Amino acid sequence: MISIEEIRNLSALARLTLTPAEEEALSKDISNILDYVGQVSAVTDGRRAPSAAAADGALLRNVMRDDIPTKTLGDRESLLNAFPKREGDFNVVRKILDKDAGAQ
Amino acid sequence: MPELNKLSILEAQAKMEAGEITAVDLARACLPEIEKNNKELNIFLEVFSDVEAQAAEADKRRAAGEKHPLLGIPLAIKDNILIEGRTASAASKMLEHYVATYDATVIKKLKEAGAVFIGRTNMDEFAMGGSTENSAYGATKNPLDPTRVPGGSSGGSAAAVAAHMALGAIGTDTGGSIREPAAFCGLVGMKPTYGAVSRSGLIAMGSSLDQAGPLAHSVADTEAIFNTIRGLDALDSTTITDTTYPKATLKKKIGVPRHLLKEGVDKDVLRLFEQSLEKLKAEGYDIVNIDLPSAPLALSAYYVIMPAEVSTNLARFDGVRYGLSTKGTTLADDYAVTRAEGFGAEVRRRIMLGTYVLSAGYYDAYYGKAVAVRNAIAKEYSAALANVDAIAVPTAPSVAPKLGEKSDPLSMYLLDVFTVTANITGHPAISLPMGTVDSLPVGLQLTTAMGDEATLFMLGKLLER
Repeated sequence: MISIEEIRNLSALARLTLTPAEEEALSKDISNILDYVGQVSAVTDGRRAPSAAAADGALLRNVMRDDIPTKTLGDRESLLNAFPKREGDFNVVRKILDKDAGAQ
Repeated sequence: MPELNKLSILEAQAKMEAGEITAVDLARACLPEIEKNNKELNIFLEVFSDVEAQAAEADKRRAAGEKHPLLGIPLAIKDNILIEGRTASAASKMLEHYVATYDATVIKKLKEAGAVFIGRTNMDEFAMGGSTENSAYGATKNPLDPTRVPGGSSGGSAAAVAAHMALGAIGTDTGGSIREPAAFCGLVGMKPTYGAVSRSGLIAMGSSLDQAGPLAHSVADTEAIFNTIRGLDALDSTTITDTTYPKATLKKKIGVPRHLLKEGVDKDVLRLFEQSLEKLKAEGYDIVNIDLPSAPLALSAYYVIMPAEVSTNLARFDGVRYGLSTKGTTLADDYAVTRAEGFGAEVRRRIMLGTYVLSAGYYDAYYGKAVAVRNAIAKEYSAALANVDAIAVPTAPSVAPKLGEKSDPLSMYLLDVFTVTANITGHPAISLPMGTVDSLPVGLQLTTAMGDEATLFMLGKLLER
């Protein structure tokens, strides 16, 4: 059983605010799911570890491209328009540095 | 005039080529169907306002001499596929107002072919689910029985085709999300070989598992869509070419992993499954029993690997550059409250599960083991497919559940038991209608060797006759 404490730790890692009711429901759900998927942890025979398998993967190859700009993610203006809060050509984000903090 | 929205894609194309109908006629046949039933069935999240204009443009291109199997064909597009200038929300509050800034490669290819986009279809939020009940915009109902789910996560795409609101549809399949709704809605649905279709412009769920693919009424229609959207793409370095995998040779053998069918499968589904095998026998195929010893672990491996990739992929939604943005008390809090508000229960569950299996102390026991199991299953499938043309199982163990029937997450996950394997291994797989149980459709799933969609279509056409 995953404890409420563990759920709180996970939600902090996952940057996800949860209500106490959600914490409780998730501790139950995730415990149930882990009981089921835990079957994979029991595998101890010769099935290979990922690193060994990756080494001989026929499809593992480097894919390189020339460093030439192309239109891929759309034009500048539409990307700027996607900002939650736009001011001119800037994305308005929370201030995280205090101007006076360094002087103290 | 006959009901044009009930034509197959190839029939409609032949009629347009013969000058009997136009793309505008086809669009005008589909739109009233949506007008009439979309409110109740909740299939389209948005019907595009320029459908007739798109159709008129296709007619113009035909008049100028262009030809393509999809020219002027109305298609429904799943809401996690980007179309430049249009909303793509992945059925999430997180992206409710997100407007795509570029075309997915799949969309680019469909535009070049001249297909008409009818609208964006409902789905499980971020493609997480098997019933389309996890949409932030309400569940989609199965047009064949509105008390039941259409399957998912491409439930809106499947329902749109089943309800004759479009002639075909594009879905995405991470663990069965094309094949399962195809089975529940009586359609053909195909998940291509991993890498056959570019993932550029799909809203990512599990990047090592995701593939876009077609849903349609017939195998030939499905094939026409697949041939249009496939191909090497510089924007997705996992895409493959025609020569990446060796060509398969016909063995006239179908493999059936009987050990996977011993329990948990509805007896009527099994009866129809045996009938399909008889049909293949009558066509000269030997039905042979095969053993896939690691396959029973596929679902477990999937529900470790997929959430791990989900928690990583969805880390990008932080309210800073696009999408929902909610203010908290600190920057870290901004992220956490934005994500809490933007993501629904199932998405949160999978992010938490993924965070768990990737966290220090559990990584080796879960993720590491799951990847080892994945490799073992892939090897067993490839070995089996060296001796048989296809592996056959039912697509889902039962008919479409009632809305709300599978409220426990694990019981919902178990619906994927036969479909996840093809995503785990990368093999192509198709769901074909194999009859009905109490007038509800069920599907037959065939899996073939890597890169061998041709055999899926060939066998599908045999079974369709």
